Amino acid sequence: MATVTHSSKLGNILWPVLAWGVALIFFFPIFWMVFTSFKTDADAVKPEFLFSFTPTLENYTNMAENYDYWRFATNSVITSTFATLFALIVGVPAAYAMAFDPSRHTKDILMWMLSTKMLPAAAVLYPMTFLTKNFLGIFDTHFLVIVVLCLINLPIVIWMLFTYFKEIPKEIIEAGKMDGVSTWGEIKDILIPLAWGGIASTALLTFIFCWNEAYWTVRLTTIDAATLSKLIEGNRAPEGLFFGRLSAVSTAAVAPIVILGWFCQKQLVQGLTFGAVK
Amino acid sequence: MSKRTLPRILQTPAVLLLLVWMLVPLSMTLYFSFIRYVLNSTIRPEWTTPALSNWRGFGNYQYVLNAKDFWFAIQNSVFIVSSILVMTVILGLGIAVLINRSFPGRGIVRVLLISPFFVMPAVNGVLWINMILDPVLGLNGLAIAGLNNVIDGLRDFPGLGWFFSMWPKLEPISFRATQTSAYAVIMMVTWQWTPFAVLIFMTSLQSEDESQKEAATLDGASAWSQFINLTVPHLARPIAIVVMIQSIFHLSLYAEIEIVSRGNGNKNLPYLIGEFTSNNIGAASATGIFAVILANIIAIFLLRMVGKSLMD
Repeated sequence: MATVTHSSKLGNILWPVLAWGVALIFFFPIFWMVFTSFKTDADAVKPEFLFSFTPTLENYTNMAENYDYWRFATNSVITSTFATLFALIVGVPAAYAMAFDPSRHTKDILMWMLSTKMLPAAAVLYPMTFLTKNFLGIFDTHFLVIVVLCLINLPIVIWMLFTYFKEIPKEIIEAGKMDGVSTWGEIKDILIPLAWGGIASTALLTFIFCWNEAYWTVRLTTIDAATLSKLIEGNRAPEGLFFGRLSAVSTAAVAPIVILGWFCQKQLVQGLTFGAVK
Repeated sequence: MSKRTLPRILQTPAVLLLLVWMLVPLSMTLYFSFIRYVLNSTIRPEWTTPALSNWRGFGNYQYVLNAKDFWFAIQNSVFIVSSILVMTVILGLGIAVLINRSFPGRGIVRVLLISPFFVMPAVNGVLWINMILDPVLGLNGLAIAGLNNVIDGLRDFPGLGWFFSMWPKLEPISFRATQTSAYAVIMMVTWQWTPFAVLIFMTSLQSEDESQKEAATLDGASAWSQFINLTVPHLARPIAIVVMIQSIFHLSLYAEIEIVSRGNGNKNLPYLIGEFTSNNIGAASATGIFAVILANIIAIFLLRMVGKSLMD
């Protein structure tokens, strides 16, 4: 795209400096977390070691025994992966039907789905605890976390897929129908290959939302199915007794998602705009 | 099978699942909001199990409306959400314009800028309130202590020391305190969500009609008037999107509030419900119903605003 044409010499220097400055300010907290993770707990709170210190990996090597990191990380991977998968399995056919065979209610259904996302989770916290603990006996299981993560993300999954599918010319799907392809065949052989990019970015974004979710995953688990959000929230050290090890485990908790996000930022943005920003 | 049946079948699982997910817990909340239901009561043990015989009518609602934290929680929810929205939109617009031209390292700048958006809220809270904002051990405290040291040094300066001895000793702000914990939450959430606004505004800026701008330049329109008359109207839709999606997420803010001050002086509606839930389920449910009503008012408003453009 064309850039501002009347830029002065001064602007040519000042502009990048300003942009870099803002970017570094925004990245600084993350940098600081990673930086602190290489200090011992004792060094981390001493002003004289603010910038110069002997880097150590002990916070990372002790992470397993200090925090039982791997158990929580495994739970995060399992629940986020399966929740994303199930959301897609339910969401793709629904979005397919809405995009290629809309009825006059389609818009209302989509709006209603999005409005379920606005229901305050806290309003149904106790019933959910009550039902899953006393009635269904699935409190603190992977199954429960997967189902809840799947459901809270389903509206967004359907919305995103819908906006991607709408971009596919209807004629392509119609042509498949003429050739007598079954609906399942249409989805599998025509839709999924065509919308692969959209489906992938939907999956990525859902995975990120699942991984970062910090309400249900914290309140519907105790030990067995607890995810990284619960680990961090449960171990926030007051008054900074353990800045070093806390930084290390925090870094380990966000690193997979931040790196994933870096690689896929373009696709993610497109999905997040719900197709409303071209 | 008729033409219409199949699409319906394909949508059914999604619709049914969401319907159950919405209706079952919500109707339980509605029921609990009309009965006396507490988890611990030695005097009235019959209130510890939900039963119609404990019917209380609108008593829980009255109780909640008279609870001293209720109105504060609503005001605080609105204050937090609107502050975050205003700040992310303004910062987002500024930064999007800033990086919407080529300069060395633009790709890296974008990667650095987007990063906060991927940090999980629990880590966001822990990182900011401890490592950055702590008034003693965090950068906040260290920076103020450092400044005080410098001023102390200047006080011994021969001849001019008297001048600096009149300077005050700086006190770091504690963000865990009653009045300031909301600011800490606003700060950390703004940090996390500004990148989101930037990305959406940038996507939109890149699709701006350049020929219009060139024509305006030829007509002698200034850069500022181009920005106001062409760019801002073009950004109306993305701003609506940013406001809608963020409202969905921030109305239910919880982890950050819990981590910063355990809700001390900084309760929002979800947090107040959480507190009631530790014993008084009736009050928690009534508050929950108020929260649902508030969310619906906002939802209707937002969906109207964005809904039209989403279906084109």
